[in-house]
Amino acid sequence: MPLFEGLGSGGEKTAVVIDLGAAYTKCGFAGETGPRFIIPSEIQKPGQQQSIKVVQYNINTEELYSNLKEFIHMLYFRHLLVNPRDRRVVIIESILCPSHFRETLTKVFFKQFEVPSVLFAPSHLMAIMSLGINSGLVMDCGYTETLVLPVYECIPILPAWEALPLGGKAIHKELDGLLVEQCTVDSDSSTGQSLPTYIHIDPLMLFVLSRCPVRTCFISDLQRGLKIQEAKFNLGGTAERPTPPPDVDYPLDGEKILHIKGPIRDSVMEMLFEQDNEEKSVASLVLDALVKCPIDTRKALSENLVIIGGTAMLPGFLHRLLAEIRLLVEKPKYRDALATKSFRLHSPPAKPNCTAWLGGAIFGALQDILGSRSVSRDYYNQTGRIPDWCCLSSPPPESVYDAGKTPPPLMKRAFSTEK
Amino acid sequence: MSGTVQMEWHQTPGNQVDSHYCPSCLENMPSAEAKLKKNRCANCFDCPCCMHTLSTRATNIPAPLPDDPSKTTMKKAYYLACGFCRWTSRDVGMADKSVASGGWQEPDNPHTQRINKLIEYYQQLAQREKLERDRKKLARRRPYMPLAFSQHTIHVVEKYGLGTRLQRQRPGAPITSLAGLSLKEGEDQKEINIEPAQALDEVEPLPEDCYTRPINLPEVTSLRQRLLQPDFQPAGASQLHPKHKHLLIKRSLRCRKCEHNLSKPEFNPTSIKFKIQLVAVSYIPEVRIMSIPNLRFQKECQVLLTLTNPVENITHVTLVGCEEGDPEDINSTAKVMVPTKELVLAGKDAAADYDELAEPQDFQDDPDVVAFRKSNKIGFFIKVVPQREEDGDVTVSFKIRHDFRNLAAPIRPSEEGDAPTEAIWLTHHVELSLGPIIA
Repeated sequence: MPLFEGLGSGGEKTAVVIDLGAAYTKCGFAGETGPRFIIPSEIQKPGQQQSIKVVQYNINTEELYSNLKEFIHMLYFRHLLVNPRDRRVVIIESILCPSHFRETLTKVFFKQFEVPSVLFAPSHLMAIMSLGINSGLVMDCGYTETLVLPVYECIPILPAWEALPLGGKAIHKELDGLLVEQCTVDSDSSTGQSLPTYIHIDPLMLFVLSRCPVRTCFISDLQRGLKIQEAKFNLGGTAERPTPPPDVDYPLDGEKILHIKGPIRDSVMEMLFEQDNEEKSVASLVLDALVKCPIDTRKALSENLVIIGGTAMLPGFLHRLLAEIRLLVEKPKYRDALATKSFRLHSPPAKPNCTAWLGGAIFGALQDILGSRSVSRDYYNQTGRIPDWCCLSSPPPESVYDAGKTPPPLMKRAFSTEK
Repeated sequence: MSGTVQMEWHQTPGNQVDSHYCPSCLENMPSAEAKLKKNRCANCFDCPCCMHTLSTRATNIPAPLPDDPSKTTMKKAYYLACGFCRWTSRDVGMADKSVASGGWQEPDNPHTQRINKLIEYYQQLAQREKLERDRKKLARRRPYMPLAFSQHTIHVVEKYGLGTRLQRQRPGAPITSLAGLSLKEGEDQKEINIEPAQALDEVEPLPEDCYTRPINLPEVTSLRQRLLQPDFQPAGASQLHPKHKHLLIKRSLRCRKCEHNLSKPEFNPTSIKFKIQLVAVSYIPEVRIMSIPNLRFQKECQVLLTLTNPVENITHVTLVGCEEGDPEDINSTAKVMVPTKELVLAGKDAAADYDELAEPQDFQDDPDVVAFRKSNKIGFFIKVVPQREEDGDVTVSFKIRHDFRNLAAPIRPSEEGDAPTEAIWLTHHVELSLGPIIA
């Protein structure tokens, strides 16, 4: 039982902490050790089989508003079981979240659910808070992308951000491609059918397929991984691929069995570490971010690596990441730029997909501070908007909110956010 | 709907949590207890494999008698089992319990202590920040104090506020000479220090046999099973512990403007009735289609509709066609002629079915307009001329205007004696879909 629960000091009820991720949402209460629920960020419309993703940046405001309204309604009345009007809200967000999405989310909370106040907490900063340290290089491996942001003395070094669209979404896409190409499905009536025939019949199949990697795939260690990459790119050469792991018979909804070929199991995740044309991979992000940081901060940052996000929970990920970083730092590109060669990894008191949430829950338990740093409903009703780090005083131009237009490039400014 | 009569069409009424109950044992739980138990039932469990409700089963096992260890007797032992997927609590190594309920514990999060310590530490920092903020607020009114002032003088000044002449100069200047964040004398000197987390050089690699061992898929948890246990998220099925069943709630609705309760369910989870149920259907006369002739393009047809009065007093209804350019009239594809005279509906009388001797009230209906009358219902004709020949249903719309007496209002003692409740006239837009045109 948390010490500061319920009507504790000050008589205020515990705040609600929500981490709205692109794939999963973690929701719960401040002061607790973990989220109450981790649910997919989707809503189900009656009559439609396919569920709708809630976190979409390119749909028009009305649709986004109604999706968010339904989703948050479900959060409060099916999972949290509390009245929205009674409790402050802490929302863990990515700093790259578009202002338009933020504004719509705030509007839903204030206008529809009439919450007393809202606080947007950056996920990287919250991860630091869960460890009791002041500085760290935080890497969030999520669904849409992997985002690195260094934090020094509790201030995010915004100009040093680095990101790549290598996350759960990219892995699913790669896996789908490989499965469709190479694997077969057995069912009651037939054996050895190729996958596309089934996907055509049953779109829900894709949903089941997206769960495959968690149970069957893993990330090899450095030596093995490099050999697999060599074999892949060495067309016609003599590079030999290491012995693949055994095949798996993966049952799909009771009747059909999908035969997953062994080589897929250890090679699909290599895409995270294959360096593309610009020599960028998930590991190089860490070093690129370090290079952008002031020299005095680099040692503190490299010895305090914090890895959060659901994709980081893949078996073998952390070990491989550390090995890759150590390999890359010897390359000429980084060898002279970075003097620090020691890299250390933290293990936060929560699973990587809940670490940012935990930081928010710890912060949300500080009732006075939460009150003074949140945006209250009165303030929102007066000004009609919520400040974002890139447009504090003036609202962004309206024209970029039409669906189909590309969002404006994000401004990078050194800016101190609060703890 | 006490003071104001407003139909909540466009804005959804405010939802509120009313009562908690368990969906399997249907036990009502007071909200204080629900909060303590984290919204989970004390008696019921969910199967961690298939999420159905677990049932408690009993077996007899031999156990030595307490008095005489050489003899054995049959004792009851209880375990949890799922009737759907055949999972049992023995699969994860949970020992059988000797009591039927109350013996099963959920495992604790191993990080609880550390997290609580972190919260305490940050609470302390928060206190300090608050102190500094308050100090700054007070100090802002005081001017900059020269460093020559001794510590003692500064403390005196802080204690007694605006004292010397110097303090009334230059308000708003920053106070840099004040001591840092040290706690004042006399305050609690106990400081909570937190050990910052230690980072490690090495991470455990995957076990070697991972590359060669064939997977035993039933032993590996699926993503959904893992996410149901956020604190542990185990990868192996042998670590899946059952969780207490999550409660459901009943919601009550409240008007956003006047905060009046619109809908309040019964407290008892087994009852589906409502304590308060203010829905528009029980106040507005209902229009229903009774019979439609063959509809022909640009030919006048007579459609028979019924009007039912849901309230107990007599209601007067006037029907009016929609005007040109009416913003609510977007779908109509036919011209409609509604009766011009006012229609009178008798009050709903619950005993009317049983009272055969009751004299029918004489309303003097025009037979061209009113087809029949039966207790609180009348049938009437409208003339429809379909204007479009296309596929799809013929749609007509008109306005219905009726008088509404708010009998739910509290009776105010009036000086003139019994004044009848005033009638308010309400207008609603009605749209009817009459089916396709028969060629």
